[in-house]
Amino acid sequence: MPAIDNIIFQVHNLSKYYGPGCPSCAVLTGPEQETNVCPRCGTIVACHEINLDLEQGEILGIVGESGSGKSTLVRCLYFDDEVTGGEAYLAAYGAGKADIFRESSQKKRHIRNHLMGMVYQNPLLGIKPHFTAGGNVAEKLLTADVYHYGDIRKRAAVLLTRTEIPIGRMDDFPAHFSGGMQQRVQIAKALANNPPLLFLDEITTGLDLSVQARVLDLVKEIQRELGIAMLVVSHDLGVIRMLADRTAVMKNGRIVEIGLTDQILEDPQHQYTQLLVHSML
Amino acid sequence: MLNLQEVKKPRGYNFAFLDENTKREIRRKTLKAVAIPGYQVPFASPELPIARGWGTGGLQLTMSLIGPEDVLKVIDQGCDGGVNAVNIRNLLVKTTGVKTTYATSEATIIQTRHRIPEEKMRDDQILVLQVPIPEPLRFVEASMAKTREMHSEMDYSRMWVFLYENIVKWGEITLGARYPSLVNKRYLIDPSPIPRWDVPPLNMADTLYLFGAGREKRIYAVPPHTRVEPLEFDDFAFRVEDFSGLACIRCGSTNTYFNEVFDGAGGKIHVCSDSSNCDKIRAQREEECSCASD
Repeated sequence: MPAIDNIIFQVHNLSKYYGPGCPSCAVLTGPEQETNVCPRCGTIVACHEINLDLEQGEILGIVGESGSGKSTLVRCLYFDDEVTGGEAYLAAYGAGKADIFRESSQKKRHIRNHLMGMVYQNPLLGIKPHFTAGGNVAEKLLTADVYHYGDIRKRAAVLLTRTEIPIGRMDDFPAHFSGGMQQRVQIAKALANNPPLLFLDEITTGLDLSVQARVLDLVKEIQRELGIAMLVVSHDLGVIRMLADRTAVMKNGRIVEIGLTDQILEDPQHQYTQLLVHSML
Repeated sequence: MLNLQEVKKPRGYNFAFLDENTKREIRRKTLKAVAIPGYQVPFASPELPIARGWGTGGLQLTMSLIGPEDVLKVIDQGCDGGVNAVNIRNLLVKTTGVKTTYATSEATIIQTRHRIPEEKMRDDQILVLQVPIPEPLRFVEASMAKTREMHSEMDYSRMWVFLYENIVKWGEITLGARYPSLVNKRYLIDPSPIPRWDVPPLNMADTLYLFGAGREKRIYAVPPHTRVEPLEFDDFAFRVEDFSGLACIRCGSTNTYFNEVFDGAGGKIHVCSDSSNCDKIRAQREEECSCASD
């Protein structure tokens, strides 16, 4: 399906099963059944027929309990995991007409390196602790075919300043950084090639409150200034309220409700969303 | 009736030591390596009665290629008289009876350790290089499974970061030998521990270059007229060793690769690494001198 207007990313019927799968998987799992494990064949239905649209510069929040398939979804979108079924279209790739899941692994790497950025919950998944902070940013630039040493240095300095890493520590190893600093290096790296699409997976979990606030500020600022579309996964409704324009609520591998964030938080329709909103502190 | 005496004729070794099946295996893998420039092809062979690390990769390549009409030259760090070269030459002569030479231009097969001859080689010659570590990505990734995947997806970013950090730390790329180079704009190779000086001759050469690693059992090739480009940043060009202002103490050459040697008095002198080329230049000089004095 071709991308229309300013929609830059579309996902259709994305499914991810872990296990053999059987015809009953879809029927016997889901929010109504309160499980994502198929009782007949034992397959874990991590994501089932997920549909998403993302406009340019928009932040879409994905919220849900742990095990609801949020992280699996972004991992699939970033090609860390292979999907079981479904299609995805990126406006910036192949004029939005090519299903990116069907491309070869080389093409997928190209898409990932040139058009996407990812920030994982665990900074060490996204950055390499034995490369310097600058080296980590350089890696993302080098994968995107920037081979000018001076330019790489300059860009790394700009991005690290942006994410509040002192320039003096540019050539230090992230292994010697605090968790919050590591996370900010990871964000700098994800932004290095100016991707039109950024995935953020639980980026503030495990950070202390003041650092959390600074990281969130940074994300908001980047979105405003660079107009990058983002998919923000979190189980923390506070984070979602602050960042997301629209929010999707996931449970047992399905999206049970999707809409404007205010609407979801003020007037939740689905039973699970109501439970989630009411259990907010 | 089966007569054991007749079946088992005492004939010593097969020609070029290896049995014909092993030779065939190595030749097949060599053809594959030539067909996919720079790709490391695994090969199978029985153990040689020579320790790994003594040039068994190159030796097996030479043994599978050599015929009775070939003229062999073996060098070690550019020198025909190195221990490794002498031993390998003796073994090959004993098992094949081929003619040997010191002159680069007369040889049809040259087996070498860590140098490429200074003299330009022709399209009817083959250079066999002994390789200690075939994997250029070993600097940055320990897992063989992962490096294979990186090659298949042409994901060399980590090698680039390695070079970037080298510049950050030292102001230049400090790799002296084994300079990672991209073959045919596709596969990254470790050109064996040749100095940087020898990387440019690999590019668009007339000669077939074969690389054999005995320990890891890998063969790869740079076919004639193939691009070999050392990794370099746009603003940090690849440089070869700088010998400006120096001359060989034996032949007076100023445009060859030198070994640095200490003289007895604590000073440094420089001498050609390629010994046969040095001898050749020296002989030419002497001829000119004697002509002049006549």
